[in-house]
Amino acid sequence: MINDFNLTSTTENDVLVITTEGYINNAGGEKIAQEFESHFENGVTKLLINMEGSKVVNSIGISFLIEIIEKLNEKGGVLYFSNLDPAVDKTFTIMGLFQFAKKVASVEEIK
Amino acid sequence: MDQHIKLEVKLPKVHDIELVALEGLELMGHHLGITEEKIGEARILVTEGVINALEHSGNDVPYVNVDFTMTKEKLIILITDFGKGFVPGDVAEPNIMSKLGSDNKRGWGIKLMKSLSDGFEIDSGESGTKITITKNIA
Repeated sequence: MINDFNLTSTTENDVLVITTEGYINNAGGEKIAQEFESHFENGVTKLLINMEGSKVVNSIGISFLIEIIEKLNEKGGVLYFSNLDPAVDKTFTIMGLFQFAKKVASVEEIK
Repeated sequence: MDQHIKLEVKLPKVHDIELVALEGLELMGHHLGITEEKIGEARILVTEGVINALEHSGNDVPYVNVDFTMTKEKLIILITDFGKGFVPGDVAEPNIMSKLGSDNKRGWGIKLMKSLSDGFEIDSGESGTKITITKNIA
């Protein structure tokens, strides 16, 4: 069974790394946005979302990621993704997320 | 023999109920040896179809029906609700540029289903909406 959503977050240099586990639905997307907000308020403008543990997403959950992109754009920040499932990657491409977000293999790739 | 599997589920309006349909989809896909990549794309189709139907069918309709027909080559997903219907032509095509800065960042379901499928039809009227999605999975 597809598991419930959980996240963990760490800060590496100036990058906030959020690692997700489970279904990114409305509640999952909101949790990511809340975690981001709490660091964004303190000046973090680089966010990496490691999605290795999230093979299922829906467009409502992704709408929260668009909200994050909007906030980062205002401050010249960048959203990065790593370990995307191929179908999730395709979904983000269709929605145009990579016009504003980047794919990286790991946090070490972010300058 | 060309194996042909059918699954019919009636989903109540319960939080995350689309996961029940996904469980069936994955079991059928693995049984037929469908690749993870194709199953992944089908997951998005089912998820978007079900949440769209549950959300837009109206409060008086407690169920959505999802029928799968799967072979090694093709998946057909039929999602039926018995709600108030809608005019597909009235649904604006979303794009990221217009969503940034807008209060409404949602409304991607139909675009995703069209883009990720190999066939997409909507039949909607006063007695409900039927969405037929065809996906080549070979």
